[in-house]
Amino acid sequence: MSERAFAVVGLFDSPDALLRAVAPIRAASLGRVEAYTPYPVHGLATSLGLKRSPVGGMVLVMALLGAATALGFQWWVAAVDYPITTGGKAFFSWEAFVPVMFEVMVAFATFTAGLAMLLLLNRLPFFGHPMLGSSVMAAVTRDRLALAIEKDGDVELDATNARAALEAAGAQSIEVVALPAPSQPASARTLGWMLGGIAAACLTSGFLTYWVVKLFPVLPPMVHMLQQPRINPQSQNGFFADGRTQRLPVAGTVARGYLPYAVANADEADRLVNPLPRSAEVLARGRRAYSTFCSVCHGPLATGVGTLSSAYGAKPANLQSQTFRDYSDGHIYDVIMRGKNAMPSYAEDLSEDERWAVIHYLRALQRAQNAKQEDLR
Amino acid sequence: MTRWTQMATVVGALGVAAALAFVEPQRFWANWLVWFLFVLTIGLGALFLVALEHLVAAQWSVPVRRCAERVSSLILPVVPIALIALLSLPTLFHKWTGAEAAHHPVVASKAVWLNVPFFAARLLLCLAAWLAGYRVLVSGSRRQDATSDPRFNVRARRFAPAFMALFAISITIVAFDWISSLDPEWYSDIFGVYVFAGTFLAGLSATALAVASLKQRGRLPEVNEHHLYNLGGLLFAFTVFWSYIGFAQYLLIWYADLPEEVVWYKLRIQGDWGAVALLLALIHFLVPFFALITGDAKSGLGRLRRVAALMLFAHLLDLYWLVFPSLGHGVLASWPELAFALMFVGGGLLWLGRAFGRGPDMPIGDPFLAQALEFRR
Repeated sequence: MSERAFAVVGLFDSPDALLRAVAPIRAASLGRVEAYTPYPVHGLATSLGLKRSPVGGMVLVMALLGAATALGFQWWVAAVDYPITTGGKAFFSWEAFVPVMFEVMVAFATFTAGLAMLLLLNRLPFFGHPMLGSSVMAAVTRDRLALAIEKDGDVELDATNARAALEAAGAQSIEVVALPAPSQPASARTLGWMLGGIAAACLTSGFLTYWVVKLFPVLPPMVHMLQQPRINPQSQNGFFADGRTQRLPVAGTVARGYLPYAVANADEADRLVNPLPRSAEVLARGRRAYSTFCSVCHGPLATGVGTLSSAYGAKPANLQSQTFRDYSDGHIYDVIMRGKNAMPSYAEDLSEDERWAVIHYLRALQRAQNAKQEDLR
Repeated sequence: MTRWTQMATVVGALGVAAALAFVEPQRFWANWLVWFLFVLTIGLGALFLVALEHLVAAQWSVPVRRCAERVSSLILPVVPIALIALLSLPTLFHKWTGAEAAHHPVVASKAVWLNVPFFAARLLLCLAAWLAGYRVLVSGSRRQDATSDPRFNVRARRFAPAFMALFAISITIVAFDWISSLDPEWYSDIFGVYVFAGTFLAGLSATALAVASLKQRGRLPEVNEHHLYNLGGLLFAFTVFWSYIGFAQYLLIWYADLPEEVVWYKLRIQGDWGAVALLLALIHFLVPFFALITGDAKSGLGRLRRVAALMLFAHLLDLYWLVFPSLGHGVLASWPELAFALMFVGGGLLWLGRAFGRGPDMPIGDPFLAQALEFRR
């Protein structure tokens, strides 16, 4: 035999004949013994001495890992990093996490099973198994069963003896599959072109996506958070009979954190003291509440010129006037709580802290409009 | 062994009589209901298994089908047990049979379905359907032992789909009538499927337990590990199915958090019943899942027997957990419960002992038997 052999293959025409041949061929130990059959043959795995597949164990471990990963991820997102109350449930609501845990577990398990089988056990990828080119395969895909003695590692296959052994074991026809020429390893140049091409493709598609989204904002990829069916304060709303978006509490109820106003009159309110410190945080909060609820009438500078001023019958107060600058904090608080003239009470819209924060912010607005020389230093 | 069982049954019966005299009637009838459902679900589950095998023309299962057929004979003693259970309607089901039902808007609206004459009629129709199924599938199979007439297989295969439909309707009726109507305000669409999962699991466990016990006594020598593997595989699959359905029902009710729905779970997962629920999750899902997860475990005789016995106990616990919290007490487990257990387990074993003592252990007249004994997975 001049050329080197990859395998010597014997063909059999019944599973029983194949099974009978396995033991003597394995005993001869001429190489790796492998069988190729068009359908599963009971008992073949045992007689070939195939070891129990480790895939099951890997899948179990990875499935548990997947479930643990999903649980940990959801716990971190929902209870640690970005806790939002949903439906009054606890942040760590394991019940809600179970479906995702299940899916991730299945994903880990299936990918493990598939990849472990293909990469670890079937030693993929390789380009073309030597057996595929042989005429044996054509017979096997029809109705024949093949038993092959294959080259085991670096040891040369003794084709003559293998042929004799298969003949003795009852093979009907025997073929020698030649060892394919060793494939050339890819050159550094080819590898460079390949990696460069992949990198270029990634960069091009990334930049294209970025610029398309940037230049054509009519095609935003995800707008669910931006455009949501939401109703804003001060807006009209046909859902309710009175057309108001801002709801008053149901008669006879007290909302949590909105205690009834216990101060009898404005004189008593004069004695109230703003409990909040004048910190940047409080002013930011006051500014947010002021812009939402106050500025539509009193205007962004508290001058009484807001967006509603022209359309609105009554004239909103100019809070920069001396009268209002002389009001005590408690007095302003009292007006927020009770309302004044055409202004309704904002007791239900602003929380205790927001009211005092708005007053701090109003003081800042007043001082900014009436700045003295020493304020500039 | 039989003497001990007889003695236990007699002692249990005396205890049950004492319970009727001394224990509050609600508790007595709750016990009766649990055991009625336990015996029913085992027998009916086994009958479903038999019908399923005919439906799909399963061949592997022919050698173990006789065991399922014998277990399904529990349908016969269920008839008097069920008729006696009708006496529980005024006490145990007083929420819709009592006078107060008319004043409860939700319960009153269900009066079309939940009224005593229709309830009793439904029970009788269900019993008739099960007895018809038993007669065609089981008695016919027993007759085939003598005649070896293959026409039985054809008839059973034609009958099985009709029985499946009847079974699906009747098991849902059992779930809604006998369990869910204990709390008539509560509703859950999937509850019938949950009870079905438990029913099939009960029938399957009893069958597997019977096969394993017979084999350990040296009977059924032809049944090999491949048949056991399939039984174990079904058991494994349906523990997961039960858990999936049970959790799906819980998840939706937990998520929606509607008062009339959550109260059912509130009774069952808080306080002492919470411990029972945890135990249920443990022995109805986690333990059998990991006990049966490997291939060897599914075909191991001892392992299969132990898991099947555990599953029967878990199913009993499931029924106990479904029925007893409706009484509004904590966990009740004392001499009345023990007496009921002795009487029904003892009586059931005596009945099955008789059933397993008559005739051949396999359907020897089935034309597929020889082929089925050759089954390899």
